[in-house]
Amino acid sequence: MTAEEIRAKIEQALPGSNVQVRDTTGGGDHFEALVTAVQFTGKSMVEQHRMVYSILGQAMAGPIHALALRTSVPPT
Amino acid sequence: MSSANERIQALINNNKVLVFMKGNRAIPMCGFSATVVQVLDRLGAVYETVDVLEDPEIREGVKAFSNWPTIPQVYIDGKFIGGCDIIRDMYQRGELEPLVRATAAAS
Repeated sequence: MTAEEIRAKIEQALPGSNVQVRDTTGGGDHFEALVTAVQFTGKSMVEQHRMVYSILGQAMAGPIHALALRTSVPPT
Repeated sequence: MSSANERIQALINNNKVLVFMKGNRAIPMCGFSATVVQVLDRLGAVYETVDVLEDPEIREGVKAFSNWPTIPQVYIDGKFIGGCDIIRDMYQRGELEPLVRATAAAS
């Protein structure tokens, strides 16, 4: 899995979002993601993170060993 | 699966602050688990931990239980609060301390 693949997957599922993904070890399994999306509006942090996890689906149980995640709503 | 759910529910009911983690508080086996333990220790929280590496049934079961795919997981007063990132954010915003204090006062 590459950081770019993760970024594309999230951006596709959350149109208009701003997504930054970094492969923290260079090994293709530990990542850090920053996701800013209007789709998070009105949702708790737990719900926001669940949305991202569900977009990544089975990848969370396999290729992605670790994902540090920060989510936010864009400033209006 | 249901027996895993029952065990998890009992653990959560019996511990006001509970961490499902890899390793234990003395020797965390993952950086994310270590962060959660550090934050709770800094707040002087009274908490229990469950080492999922010692218990594969709980390790998989807790992910389904909470609809959350990663470890660690923190429960306070029976409610799923979040994983490492959320716990750290809440700590930095000063939102975690009142939750932890309320459980200490009630026990």
